[in-house]
Amino acid sequence: MIKHKKNKIIPDSALGSIQIVPKALSSKHGYAILELLFYIAFFAVLSFVVISAMMTMANSFKETTIQEQLIQSGTIMERISREIRSASDIVSISSNDLLLSTKDANGADKTVEFKFVDPNVQLWEAGANTGNLNSPNIIVTSLAFSQIITAKGKAVRIILTVKSANDALGRMQDFYDTVVPRGSY
Amino acid sequence: MKNIFQKKGFMVVEVLVAASIITISILAALAVAQKSISVSRQAFHTTQAAFLLEEGAENARIERDNTWDNVASLNSSEQIGIFTRTVIASSVTRDNITKDISSVGTDDPGTKLITVTVSWPEGGLTVSKTLRFYIMNIFS
Repeated sequence: MIKHKKNKIIPDSALGSIQIVPKALSSKHGYAILELLFYIAFFAVLSFVVISAMMTMANSFKETTIQEQLIQSGTIMERISREIRSASDIVSISSNDLLLSTKDANGADKTVEFKFVDPNVQLWEAGANTGNLNSPNIIVTSLAFSQIITAKGKAVRIILTVKSANDALGRMQDFYDTVVPRGSY
Repeated sequence: MKNIFQKKGFMVVEVLVAASIITISILAALAVAQKSISVSRQAFHTTQAAFLLEEGAENARIERDNTWDNVASLNSSEQIGIFTRTVIASSVTRDNITKDISSVGTDDPGTKLITVTVSWPEGGLTVSKTLRFYIMNIFS
């Protein structure tokens, strides 16, 4: 870029070894090269930091989405525990299936059933499937009901294990709850 | 020539400053993104802990439905995954005149105060949630 007559005496290969260049030249050109090297190194470090920061941010966005979906899956447990609490009796119980007798809004008898059909939890009301309790991006890996019989009533222990469909690591999260049906008192 | 060098150098410094500002702001955004992970994770753990608290309360009710004496002796601690749940029953005193629950008065053997605490480690700190309720011996 800078045309100077004295430049011609510096061979290309000598650019790195500044000490053989006359002092007057080295103070100008050598400094520019060192400066350039310094800036290239600096920008390399900066761009590495920026790119890794961008990747971390993309991953944390994904992670936040997964956590949000898992928090949403708590509503499955909430719905099951509320139905059990208002139920009058447990009609039938197996590991993956819970049938409760309860009352509808008008006080008439009805049944509510929770079925684990891998990978979903189905809600059956009055013998009809009303849909899945889990959202499509939540995979229910296991749902287990167990009955506790007490001197004065019953209780149901629920263990729910879920994972997010978006999670490449497939991390599973557990929810535990035990509910006493209040309708039987 | 000196003038050109000075100009070039000045431009590089300008770019350097601009790049540094952009980098610092991206690092700030990175810190926010990482904080958002820990906050959302903590929110999820709180959701899990809420069910564990509920379960602790229901367990006290199950003990009441079985034998009242078991409620009075409730004093347990268990580890469930990352969570530690402790259930403690403490005695309740009632005012001699009004029969309301108060800090002074006569001990009521038919009422207990249950304290359920769920605690778990969260980023070096221990977070805990507590549920306190009274339970009464309604079956005898």
